Amino acid sequence: MTTASPGRLPVAPVAGVPARFAVGQDEPVLASCRFDLDAALRFADGWIVLTPHRLLSDDPETGRPPPDGHPFEWPVDATAELDVHLRAAVGRIELLQAGRVAVQWRFTAARAKGVHALEDAFDQLVHGRPGAEAPRPGEAARTIAAPPSKALDDEDGESGPRASWKSLIRLTGFARPYLGMAVVGGLLSLASTAAALVPPYLTMPLVDRVLIPRQQGAPVPFSTVWWYLGGLLLAATLAWLLSWARTWTLAWVSERIAANLRVSTYAHLQSLSLDFFSGKRTGDLMARVGNDTDRINLFLSVNVLTFVSDVLLVALTAVVLVTLNPLLAAVTLVPFPFVVWLAYTVRARLRRGFSRASIAWADMTSVLADTIPGIRVVKAFAQEHREIERFKVANDRVLDANDRVNVTWSFFGPLVSLFSELGTLVVWAAGAWLVFGGTVTVGGLTAFLAYITRFYTRVESMIHMVPATQRAAASAQRIFDILDCRPTVAEPPHPVPLGTVRGRIEIDGVHFRYGAREILHGIDLTIEPGEMVGLVGTSGSGKSTLANLVCRFYDPSSGSIRIDGIDLKDVSIKEYRSNLGCVLQEPFLFFGTVAENITYGCPDASREQIVAAARAAGAHEFILALPAAYDSRIGERGGSLSGGERQRLSIARALLVDPRILILDEATSSVDVETEAAIQAAIDRLVTGRTTIAIAHRLSTLRRADRIVVLDGGRIVESGSHDALLATGGAYSRLYHAQSKEADQPAVIS
Amino acid sequence: MTASPVPPPGDFPAFASYRLEQSGHGRLRFTGSDGVMHDNVDVIHAFPVSAPQGAVAIIATDGTELAWIESLETAPEPLRTTLERELSVREFLPVIDRIEGVSDGEPADWTVATDRGPRRFKVAHADDIVRCGDDSVLITDTDGIRYRIPAVARLTTRERHLIDKAT
Repeated sequence: MTTASPGRLPVAPVAGVPARFAVGQDEPVLASCRFDLDAALRFADGWIVLTPHRLLSDDPETGRPPPDGHPFEWPVDATAELDVHLRAAVGRIELLQAGRVAVQWRFTAARAKGVHALEDAFDQLVHGRPGAEAPRPGEAARTIAAPPSKALDDEDGESGPRASWKSLIRLTGFARPYLGMAVVGGLLSLASTAAALVPPYLTMPLVDRVLIPRQQGAPVPFSTVWWYLGGLLLAATLAWLLSWARTWTLAWVSERIAANLRVSTYAHLQSLSLDFFSGKRTGDLMARVGNDTDRINLFLSVNVLTFVSDVLLVALTAVVLVTLNPLLAAVTLVPFPFVVWLAYTVRARLRRGFSRASIAWADMTSVLADTIPGIRVVKAFAQEHREIERFKVANDRVLDANDRVNVTWSFFGPLVSLFSELGTLVVWAAGAWLVFGGTVTVGGLTAFLAYITRFYTRVESMIHMVPATQRAAASAQRIFDILDCRPTVAEPPHPVPLGTVRGRIEIDGVHFRYGAREILHGIDLTIEPGEMVGLVGTSGSGKSTLANLVCRFYDPSSGSIRIDGIDLKDVSIKEYRSNLGCVLQEPFLFFGTVAENITYGCPDASREQIVAAARAAGAHEFILALPAAYDSRIGERGGSLSGGERQRLSIARALLVDPRILILDEATSSVDVETEAAIQAAIDRLVTGRTTIAIAHRLSTLRRADRIVVLDGGRIVESGSHDALLATGGAYSRLYHAQSKEADQPAVIS
Repeated sequence: MTASPVPPPGDFPAFASYRLEQSGHGRLRFTGSDGVMHDNVDVIHAFPVSAPQGAVAIIATDGTELAWIESLETAPEPLRTTLERELSVREFLPVIDRIEGVSDGEPADWTVATDRGPRRFKVAHADDIVRCGDDSVLITDTDGIRYRIPAVARLTTRERHLIDKAT
């Protein structure tokens, strides 16, 4: 086939391609990519553009536009080939014409995605391969609907000073359901603050009208004194009651916000695709869901509460001060701007410090989450010491991060105290002078001093808010990092109803890349309903990847997988998976009873169904031998059971779901040959009447397979029945004979 | 290890076709419909905690299942009486009447009064104390012996506090 006619080919968006690649209306740009290395592997930035007839590019030698401004070009015909090699970080693109290298470009792994897209478009153009196609009209929309999951930013990520406020403001979204209570709490704050301001106001006339006249020999007007004292008592009681109600109300609200946040984060984690988890450390995620939400709770319940009342008190005190004596008030407030300025400068430093501390804490949790499940390996290799050392190192990092914050904080805190002392000093000096001048009474000065002490105490306590805010903002940011990750395997906006499937699987030109590495290079395979297909191949040949794609744990990079003719991307993931049963190499059992583990995929199953599934899985008898039969508790990961027993429980679990499609991923490879025989009977019962994809190293597991597909290097190299494949003497027969020789007796394949 | 596929429940012999009887020294003898006798068979509750009146299996000494009784409640006499008597012997499950004390830490020392007399035992971990849905609590000690508290609500405040602390 020669160059395809432009009319048949879809026009890809030309967005971003520089103007020097201007091609005519009749020559659409099929694909473009950038290469970022020159011939001497120095960084550069050049473009390659593919049209139906030509490949255009900047100078491959320099990675720059050619001096005359016109890109280089090579014709694309049926003899042209584009080879992409990627070794570690550096890749090479070769254009071959009639078998000879016409030109070479170099790129780093950072550009691999674009390069592969160009390669796919090229192959589609030249060979008309259906799998590696340019985006179809419907697909473009989907790409937009499912942007790749944003990487979690472990570093502080110079997100700027606004980021901390942004994430705190986003927190208020979680407060919306409790708005009423929050408003009540705010009003209570206001009231209790006002009540707290009454006492100094009452001391003023007490000094001026009672104490000083008494010193000068006047009689004591007891009725007024009682009145003043009563007022003081009343104000104190009222302030106490109000602040009690306020504390309770706001704590109630913040507990709920934090609880909401925890559940939202966890629920969101559950919705994320598998690739998110493969790149994350368990401990880090646990720290985010646990510690960071708790820190936010503390912030909301204690710090915000105090802060709100502080702000109110400072504002109200300022008002009272000004009404008492504007001049004195002005003098008093002189140090205040300095305090604010100090708080501002120290803020950024503290935020970085707390963010570092949070990350250090997560690292420490990660060590725990790593080593405790792996304790058998640790002990077997006698590495307890090293693990303790590792923990110590992580712990020292926490210590160090906290120390650094404390240095800033310990210097800053007393400095603020100094300013408030200075404020009081100013009032004494200016106040005494005003009293001498007769413009202020002694009582007025006393009240003023009482107010100013309160004022600066509150300012000091407000300053505590700075680190607390930064700490909470760092935590909130870490939580929103998770909440902002979109699952890479996205639910379609309008899912096609699937119902119970018949189980026909069509794998059509499927390519799959993980990062820059291409793992599957165009797989075409159709599996009929009820057929059992065995996938065979060496490690890394792509067997498990293919199974993961069928489970829709990932989406293919190009090509499609259809179930009963419907593209997997168009059906609801939940609905599809309810048709799916998986038995994996390492059966995961949850902490709970045997019965609970069997009913994991189907919690409503009756006891009769549980027993029937266990019988069919060959698990019934060993379950009865457990201390409490089906009600026996099994420890974390099924510690008290053998590998074969755990596997049979997981088979029972799959059987109970009664799936139409079954994935057996090395279901028997972790058990010995004798146990395998026992499990095999259970598996045979399991696969009957279901579309099955079975992956196996041990070929004897596949004796019931209708068809065996041999994968090598991400391609299907052989396919056929056991006997037919043996007869051809290809890869399968080599594998088979190698295994038969290994075993004492020939593997049982009938 | 027995690998023989277990026939589905429907294939099990009907009640009338086999006999279960005492054969001296507290041993049970099972005579199948085919006339084959199995001595010293075992009687096992499938769901001893969640459905004590539910399914029961009769198991030979090698672990093979001989018979399956779907529900103890609907089992005919005298089979039911035999089964219940055997199960009560087999399932040693003292009921805790009173909690005298629980030590701090793990393992914790429990001092209790049961319907079978006073007892001290150790509980390795909080996970070994399981609260069941019906307000009862099931405790497994370090030796695998289980104890039952039928109703938490009927305990004293102090006893409830001890359980809360331990779980």
